[in-house]
Amino acid sequence: MVPVQWYLLLATAVFCIGLFGILTRKNALLFLMSVELMLNAANINLVAFSAYWGNITGQTFSLFTMALAAAEVAVGIGIILVLYRNFDDVDVTLAKGMRW
Amino acid sequence: MTTKPKLRVGSHLLPGLAAVALFVVIAVAVLRASFGDPQGFPSDGSITASIGYAMFNLDMGAVPGEGFLVAFIVIAIALDAALDGSILLAKREEEGSAVALLADGGRQVHERLTDGTESDSDADDDGGDH
Repeated sequence: MVPVQWYLLLATAVFCIGLFGILTRKNALLFLMSVELMLNAANINLVAFSAYWGNITGQTFSLFTMALAAAEVAVGIGIILVLYRNFDDVDVTLAKGMRW
Repeated sequence: MTTKPKLRVGSHLLPGLAAVALFVVIAVAVLRASFGDPQGFPSDGSITASIGYAMFNLDMGAVPGEGFLVAFIVIAIALDAALDGSILLAKREEEGSAVALLADGGRQVHERLTDGTESDSDADDDGGDH
């Protein structure tokens, strides 16, 4: 059995890649992808500890997290469509006010 | 003459470095932490079947776990709400009436790309009897 530390290290790397993307990029689609990376890093932890403790709860919960991620992407892409329609760009730094 | 990309050093690198620093901090914490002895799944019994039972609060699985029936219902409602929300956001309002995105078959985009010169002749060709 692979030690659980390596799974945690992998999840940390995936999470920090997602954080890096959010902090350094301006494209809204890349933002969405980075958020997905961070969510899936949490999923890796859930599944790793599920196998570690021999309990099914973590794996079941990660399925629900995936469903939530799908819902989040649906709304996120809708927001990006509106952003593009109003600014002719998907740069997140353009939208600075709540109204325009 | 070829040019090579240069790294501009400055404060704009700070957010990226913060993410790398966070990785280092968590990695050190994880590698120094000690966890108990691994239990592992029981060799007999299906894990997939146990997940299915756990989703509907059925106490029949071989692997222990909690019931997720309420979470199942809540996530179903959340997915429904997200679907409605995304449709609402993707709708396009024109002249007071809501028009679905690209309901014109992409004609507007085509006209914008061709400056409206070809769209008329195309429409005539398509409309003729063959």
